[in-house]
Order: sequence, then structure tokens, then C-alpha cells
Amino acid sequence: MKTWLLLPALALAANLALAQSPGQRLAQTSCTQCHSFGKGEPHGVGPNLYGLLGKQAASNPGFTFSKQYLDAMKGKTWDRALLDKWLTDTQAVAPGNTMVYFQDDPKKRAALVEYMQSLK
Amino acid sequence: MADRIRSDAGAASRRRFFQQAGAGSAAVAAATLGLATQEAEAATAFDGSYDVVVCGSGCGGLASALFARWQGNSAVILEKAGSIGGTTSKAAFWYWVPNNEAMKKAGIADPKPDFLKYVARLTNPQGYDAAHPRFGLTPWEYEMCSAFYDSASPAVELLAAKGALPYRHVADVPDYFAELPEDKAPKGRVLVPKDAIPSMSDGGLVAVRTMSTKARQEGIPIRTGMRVIKVLQDKSGRVIGVEAKDELDATVRLRAKKAVIFATGGFTHNVELRKNFLNGPIYGGCAAPSNEGDFVQIAGPLGAQLRNMNYAWTCPIPLEKAIAKDGSISGMFSVAGDSMLFVNKYGQRNVNEKLQYNELAQTFFEWDGAKAEYPNLVRIAVWDQRSQQHSASAEYGRLIVPPGTDDRHVIKGATLAELARAIDERMAKYAGATGGAKLAPDFLPNLQAAVARFNQFAKTGKDLDFRRGERVVELLFNGDVKEETGRTNPTMWPLADAGPYYAALVVAGTLDTKGGPKTDTNGRVLDGADKPIPGLYGVGNCVASASGRAYWAGGATLGPIIAFAYRAANAAHAEGRSAA
Repeated sequence: MKTWLLLPALALAANLALAQSPGQRLAQTSCTQCHSFGKGEPHGVGPNLYGLLGKQAASNPGFTFSKQYLDAMKGKTWDRALLDKWLTDTQAVAPGNTMVYFQDDPKKRAALVEYMQSLK
Repeated sequence: MADRIRSDAGAASRRRFFQQAGAGSAAVAAATLGLATQEAEAATAFDGSYDVVVCGSGCGGLASALFARWQGNSAVILEKAGSIGGTTSKAAFWYWVPNNEAMKKAGIADPKPDFLKYVARLTNPQGYDAAHPRFGLTPWEYEMCSAFYDSASPAVELLAAKGALPYRHVADVPDYFAELPEDKAPKGRVLVPKDAIPSMSDGGLVAVRTMSTKARQEGIPIRTGMRVIKVLQDKSGRVIGVEAKDELDATVRLRAKKAVIFATGGFTHNVELRKNFLNGPIYGGCAAPSNEGDFVQIAGPLGAQLRNMNYAWTCPIPLEKAIAKDGSISGMFSVAGDSMLFVNKYGQRNVNEKLQYNELAQTFFEWDGAKAEYPNLVRIAVWDQRSQQHSASAEYGRLIVPPGTDDRHVIKGATLAELARAIDERMAKYAGATGGAKLAPDFLPNLQAAVARFNQFAKTGKDLDFRRGERVVELLFNGDVKEETGRTNPTMWPLADAGPYYAALVVAGTLDTKGGPKTDTNGRVLDGADKPIPGLYGVGNCVASASGRAYWAGGATLGPIIAFAYRAANAAHAEGRSAA
């Protein structure tokens, strides 16, 4: 999707995008620059997120978490409520941690949480 | 803060009203009132209004918005991607600041004429003339470089004083051409975000965090998922706002009372622009995936003239990650390993592997006019167990990575013969992206000869072919190597006679491109007659860099970005608010 001039191509891409859930679309536009979501896929700038919900925070082997993240998240388990809070403003949950992300729209957060729930 | 963009009930109901009333009625009303349609729409159909609308949330956008806000302007930042920071969040964020305060405190002199000679020598090598009043630079290049020298330090001081970007001075980092006689301050110009880790590789994440936190404290809304598609002008041609699409394809129009500032990055991920403008076979790069050349396409219809489209901030990249469009890809800032060399598909070693990344990448562009091919289109890095063990690192885009990290690009073999077979297979997999490049029939004997010759040089510490390790910048990026007492050249060590061996396919890529609409020294976008398009500004990699082909030093990307964000915001502030 490179150009605004190729409207038919854009429309086609939009149709393809509709085949995915809103959460998956959001994850693709918002998260894949840093995170991978497939089972066994390597870490990127951020850790692989397959099966995140239900896991202990910072339990992802092979990824180096920031001290600020570890301090704030130690002992917590990822559930829907924590993930929603995290997506609302990562810096409010773990001040100074590496990830800067905020999503003010509760519907978009819910879609992302739904998508994360589907990954297992 | 005035308007929220999408949650603004008034704007939403206004939109609904127009939808219900039918598309025709606004035009009818306009005609009745004797207004041009465009003007009437401009007066009524905006979803929010700010003094300054900034497009892009990397360093250029964040800094522009902050500088404008600190002068009392309202500002909003629109980011196309779902998360903020753009390419900046992937950068180490060194920033090159001539004559900075830390240098002054440390007693390092950085006189302006010498600084300008250094950048002129590198920017326009074929026109350089130390005796010329502009050192051979064009008037535009000279003014831009001069403005950078003047404004970079005040800009970074303001960002630091306000707590948006505290820095630390890394006095021991050399410029990339520290040996040139023109460089009178070869060390001292590089700053990094204060809280970056000691290796300084996470500076961009730190900067995005501190600058965006400050922006939100200052009441600057940052709206993600907002793809700006059009600049709106009034009848006189003055830019009065933008039209954007949000993630769910709804149209949002924002009014800019003073200025629209673009800081949306280059065209690294626009294959068409890359192919038509860049000066060599480039396979993408580590710019944010959203860097698709939007501003080139948006500013074109407004009559902006383009400059420096042929150059990019170049860097070698692993072929696999480029083809996979891996969003986490990093440029290979540091080609690590001492028992490591590069060969081409003929098994020939024909480059100094430790050449600084921008220069190294451009050696991949060499064209063989007799064979009608790029002989170095894909180079193969080869290393042994020693470098694997002692030089592995997940930082700075290194090919040699530790266990547990992403090593999809690594090819392995117990012997050089086995390695060559594995390289051959891997290259066959990517033939569709390399014009069918494959290993020459005599690759293996040539590789063995190249290793033997390299090993001879490594024993003496003198690379008689390519002088590897002789320049200070090559040591800067050498990375970790095994300690060896008494060795003179830490960039070289003989490869082991026995395996295992490792390899990776390397191609040329960009950090981002550096051409686009030409601006004046205050970031105003210029039309074909060199006249500013009123109200339209550009900063950073989305506009033309005056550096030409040159990569003056580490941070020569972000230093000018901060300086021109400052100058653009100051000029935008001085604009009168246009009538809504």
C-alpha cells in the first residue's frame, strides 16, 4: 500500500484487511514494528507475545527487560485487566520502561486484548 | 487544550449534520453567501483547530511540537503508525552538535569556518575549495550547514533545560572522518540521551520516552493511527490544515492556524521511489515501516521542488530480514568480529569490512560494465567459532548474535566446503530478489585463498589490500573481540583452520533516505521558484538534506533534525494566525 494514487489497489487491500479481526489489524499497524506474535518467532525490539495472557510478566526467556519494567512488573501475571491498563499507558504502569505506547480508545484496547486472547 | 480530534462531540455532530443534510447543501450555502466552496468548507468542516499541526512523532515531530508549544502555541501531533516514535525509536540517538556547551566547558574549540570546511569537503567533494568563500558549497548548502551550526546547540540546550531531552556528553566518540585536516574538533560533538545504557544503543527509545512524556505534560495531544493524506490550502494558496484518515478509515480534518510541519520520515519503504531516485540497488532498511515517502507525494501537487533524492543514510543490512520486511531490522552499524571477512559471490575479498557503515554500503553499488552486473550486490560475511564466541552481540545490527536471539540470517557449516554448499542453497532461495545471483563455480577455492591471504595480514596486523583497522572510526565500531596481548590491530585475527564456520548474506540498505522537498533555513518548503509555500514546513528525513552524499559523523542525522525543528518552530510561531 504505497501510494494514494492507486485507489483500486488500496480498496483491494482494505478488503483483505477486513478478513482479519479488528484486533489483528490493530496489532499489525501498532505492534509488529517491535513485536512478533507467532508461536516460536524470535524477539524483535520487544519480546515475542505469543500466549502472553496467563503468563508471569517478564518470564519470556531470551529477552532482556529494562530494570524499570522488572521493578514494576515483578510478580504480576498478565490478565485482561492488566493488559488493558498497560495498553492505556505503558508509562503509567511501569514508569521509565522502554515501551512507550498509549491507546485512549477503550474499543481499540478491547480489540487488541481480544486478539491477544486468541493467541494460544 | 482546545480540541480533541475524534472524541470531540461537537465535531462529530457537525459531521453528522453535513451527512444528513446531504453533500450539496454546504456548497449551496456557500454559493448563497458568496463564498468559494473551498473556503466555506474550510470555515466549517474542521474537527479541531491548533496553531501548529505536526505530522510525525519521531524526534523531528516531537521537537517541533515542543518548541512551538513553549512559545505559547497550541499544537497537535499526528502519527500514521499505531505507536509513536517512528525511526527514532529504533535509533541509538547519538546527536551531533557542533560547538556544543559541553565542548565549551571541556575547552574544546570548534570554530565555525573550520566546521564548514569539514562538512563542505565531505558534502561536495568534487567542488570543495578551501579558498572559496563558501568552500565550494552552493548557496543553499552553505546556508543550511551554517544554520545547523548556529542553531543545534541552542536547540539541544532548550530541550535539556525543559527536561524533554537531558543529555550526556560522549567526549571520546570521534567523527567519521576524524583524520581529515579540515576536522579541527574530531571529538566532542556527540551527545546522547542522558539515561541511555553505557553502550548507547537504546538512546532512541529513551528520547522518545522523555520527549513524548514532556509533550503530553505540556498538553500536546499525540494521535496515533492518523494517516495524513492531504494538505488543505485556502484560495490564496496558504496552507490552513490537513486531512487525515484514522485507523478505521474515517476522515479527520484539522485546522492549522499558523503552520503545518511535516516530520514524516523518508521513502525507505516505498519501492517505486527507491528504484527511481536512489543511486544504487537498495533493499529497504531499518527506517520505521511507515516511512513510505508520504511527504514527497503530498508536497508534489503543491509545487514543492525536490532535492538530494539520490542519496540516503546508507547501511549494510542482512538480506533475509530485508526480504521478510522484518520491522525490527537494524542497520549493521557495527560489523563485528576479528576473525571475520566479507567475500562476494566469486569468493573474492574486495572491501575493508570495517569501513564506516554509510561508506561500506555504497561499495555494494559497484557496477561491472563488462559483465553487466553488480558483482557485490550480495556479499557474504564469513566468520569462525572464535568470533561467534567472543564477538556476538544483539546490538547495533551485528550479524554475529548470541544464542537465543534471532539468528535466521546465520548460515552454518562444519567445514568451509560445507559452508559454501549451505550458502549456495540459501542464495538460491533468494534468487528472485537478487537477479538470480549465485556462487561462482570456483567460489570455494577462491574463498579458501581469500581466507589464507587475510590470515597472513591478520598475523602481522597489516591489511596490505584494504588497510582494515587503520582509521579511528573502524575501532569505534569494532565491537567486542577476544583479548590478545600485544596485538596492534584489534580488527583482525586469523580464521581458524577448522570449523565450525558461519556466514550471512549482506546487501545495501538505508537507515532512511535523505531527499525530499527543499526547504529554506527555517524549514519552509520551497516551490519551483524558491518561494515558500505559505504555512508549510518540513523537518528531518522527509525533506532534502544539505549533506549531499555525506555522513559527517555519528548523529549527523539527528543533530540537524533538532536544529531545524527549532528553526521551523520559531518561524512558525512568528507567522500570523490566519483567519479561520
